[in-house]
Amino acid sequence: MSLSEIPKRRKKRNWAPYILIMPALLYLALFFAWPMARGLVLAVWDDEALLSIHAEAQRDSAVVGHIPQNAHLDILDQQGNFVPEEELNLENMLTETWFRVKGEDAEGNTIEGWAPDSRIRVREEAEDGTPLAGTVRTKLGTKADPLTSVYAEPNKHSQVVGKLEARTRVEIVDVALLEVWYRVRGENEKGEPVEGWAQSRYIQVFGDESRGRVDRGNTGQLTTKFIDKMIHDRFFLPALRNTLLLMVIIIPTQFVLAIIMALVIQARLKGNTIFLYIFAIPLGVSDLAVGILWFSVFTQNGLLNSILQYLGLISHPSPYLTAETRHWIIIAIWLAEVWRATSIVMVIVVSGLQAISDEVLEAAELFGANLWQRIRHVILPLLKPSLQVALILRTILALQVFAVVIALSGGDVVTVLANETFRQYSDFRNPNVAAAYAGFILLLSMISAIIYLRTIRTQEELAA
Amino acid sequence: MSVQSEAMTVQVSEEVLALHRRMQRRRKLNRGFTYLVGILIALWILGPLYFLGSMALTTQEAVRAYPKGVLPFIPFSLDTMRFFLNSAGIVPGVINSVIVAAITLVLSTLIAAPAGYATSRFLFPGRDFFRLSILAVRAFPIVVLAVPLAVVFISLGIYDSVYSLALMHTALTLPTTILVIGSVFASIPYELEEAAMVFGCTPVQAFRHIVLPLVLPGIAASAIFTFVMSWNEVFAASILTVQNRTLPAQVLFALSNSSEAYQFAGGFFMMVPSLIFMFFIRRYLFNMWGQITK
Repeated sequence: MSLSEIPKRRKKRNWAPYILIMPALLYLALFFAWPMARGLVLAVWDDEALLSIHAEAQRDSAVVGHIPQNAHLDILDQQGNFVPEEELNLENMLTETWFRVKGEDAEGNTIEGWAPDSRIRVREEAEDGTPLAGTVRTKLGTKADPLTSVYAEPNKHSQVVGKLEARTRVEIVDVALLEVWYRVRGENEKGEPVEGWAQSRYIQVFGDESRGRVDRGNTGQLTTKFIDKMIHDRFFLPALRNTLLLMVIIIPTQFVLAIIMALVIQARLKGNTIFLYIFAIPLGVSDLAVGILWFSVFTQNGLLNSILQYLGLISHPSPYLTAETRHWIIIAIWLAEVWRATSIVMVIVVSGLQAISDEVLEAAELFGANLWQRIRHVILPLLKPSLQVALILRTILALQVFAVVIALSGGDVVTVLANETFRQYSDFRNPNVAAAYAGFILLLSMISAIIYLRTIRTQEELAA
Repeated sequence: MSVQSEAMTVQVSEEVLALHRRMQRRRKLNRGFTYLVGILIALWILGPLYFLGSMALTTQEAVRAYPKGVLPFIPFSLDTMRFFLNSAGIVPGVINSVIVAAITLVLSTLIAAPAGYATSRFLFPGRDFFRLSILAVRAFPIVVLAVPLAVVFISLGIYDSVYSLALMHTALTLPTTILVIGSVFASIPYELEEAAMVFGCTPVQAFRHIVLPLVLPGIAASAIFTFVMSWNEVFAASILTVQNRTLPAQVLFALSNSSEAYQFAGGFFMMVPSLIFMFFIRRYLFNMWGQITK
């Protein structure tokens, strides 16, 4: 349908089409563009690269510097601080418990304040385990202050409101679960010393509690380390090689076969619709099912060996899909992909053929052009736009072969880029490297599309 | 054709008649050759399918046997199929797959139908840009979308649910559905609508009584194809679901440590709905894909 057939309603700005495409645009923006942009950032952005160091042991205190992930630290001091309940149970997080106690000191004054749970032995608990009352523990050692300090805040740096003697009975009014903060000293990326407070959840402490390392940061940073990790992954080069090799052998075969199929359909034989349905069947079959289909052909006691055995060509089944017969796995993937994805090329070619008028073909036939001449000099040049679209579509899809490869090789012996993306995400739990692989596939797709568009245009320019 | 009609009315020389006879003979030969090629290609497509079907519809002993036979020569039995369907995770997987595909079908068709109508009936600034971006989205690798979406879904707390997978499948199928529905609308001449309006219909009535009945079968075909695409999709389903796997994701997960009977029956079971649906929409295939090349 050409544009001229469309009624031109341009008297005044017509908003109807914009309203009609709005839901689709919104949906694609929300579930396509936005996650895509956010996700691809993962490949170059490390969320945990740097640990912010605070001036005080408070979340909202000023940041005095950053220490990179994995850097070693000296631990100078520690103190508990409030932590929201939903953040409890994080890995590495150290907590300390403080009790708000009420009791009488040596002079008989009632003292109410906070004491760490290491100083109070709980004697009474409610049914749900909440401590209700306890006694002050005796301090060990002779030099230590025999009295236990009670603080205004659940924090050893706060004001002391009073002191309790050992074995004093106290009422436990409240319990506070605090996250430990460490006062640390380390070096930032430029090697300058940084000293300040950081939460224990980010720090792995070594045995003597005076040294530690930054387990993960809380501030993001632009990084190439995921891309480096992808490139140096030992499966990266084999995956790239196999993907490109498969592309090179699959696509030409598909185009030849698809054009033959399209010519058969175009011949309008009796039973044309049956041919059409059969040729179109693979369009609706999932790639995993196709992988299994060809696995059933190539497996050691599968169809291929059975046929060869019946024909007497072999005496015992030979293995195809093993690590020693990688070339057979490639052949099996090649056949499976040709079986599966030729239909889509055929459909595109058929609709291209239908646009070529019968008169042109009949004229060529009348002038004595044989089949090959007709294909070479009439059909192919006229099909060029359709073939171009099919080529771009097929190349992009060939970069994504996945389930067929897993079904035929188990995903280990012969691997491809899409399979490595899946593995990095699912098996290695590394979404950043998976995003790097995904970005790489996207890059290859775009480059190949640009190359096709360019070369075809320059050919046309040369011809003109 | 033109040669034949001339031959009846005009006195034609012997040479032209000979040429005509030779051409007809060649055509007949060509037809035979085309039949042969067509049948060979049909066998190439159906052969493996038939073998897999034979393996799925027999006893497990026949699946283990070597050399293997095909169906009329081996016992027919639902044993293998029953074994597959009773395996862990298969029935929930089928239910999940159907839910995901059904939501995808409804969402995708509802969102795509107005957009398809707009692109085929209105000439508006930005139309070509819209169509181009739809094509670009269609050509986008699924692989590239699945990982980012998984990360976003995790941060939103809707990871590992059939509903979030349906959202992803809708994003995947939407471009195709828009293009297909657009081509269905484009195949209905605008003059029909105009005539209805000349006879006093409002635009909405014209749409309701003239266009809708004509496009409904095409839209139904496109909806079925959307269903099939979602039913078949493996990669995103494997990445976005862990506990609530769809059928393909479950089969893929169990693939490496399952028996051949399980694999063959699984592959066949996944294919059957597609085969049936494709049969119903075969007539619309070229309507559907033809437009994409333009």
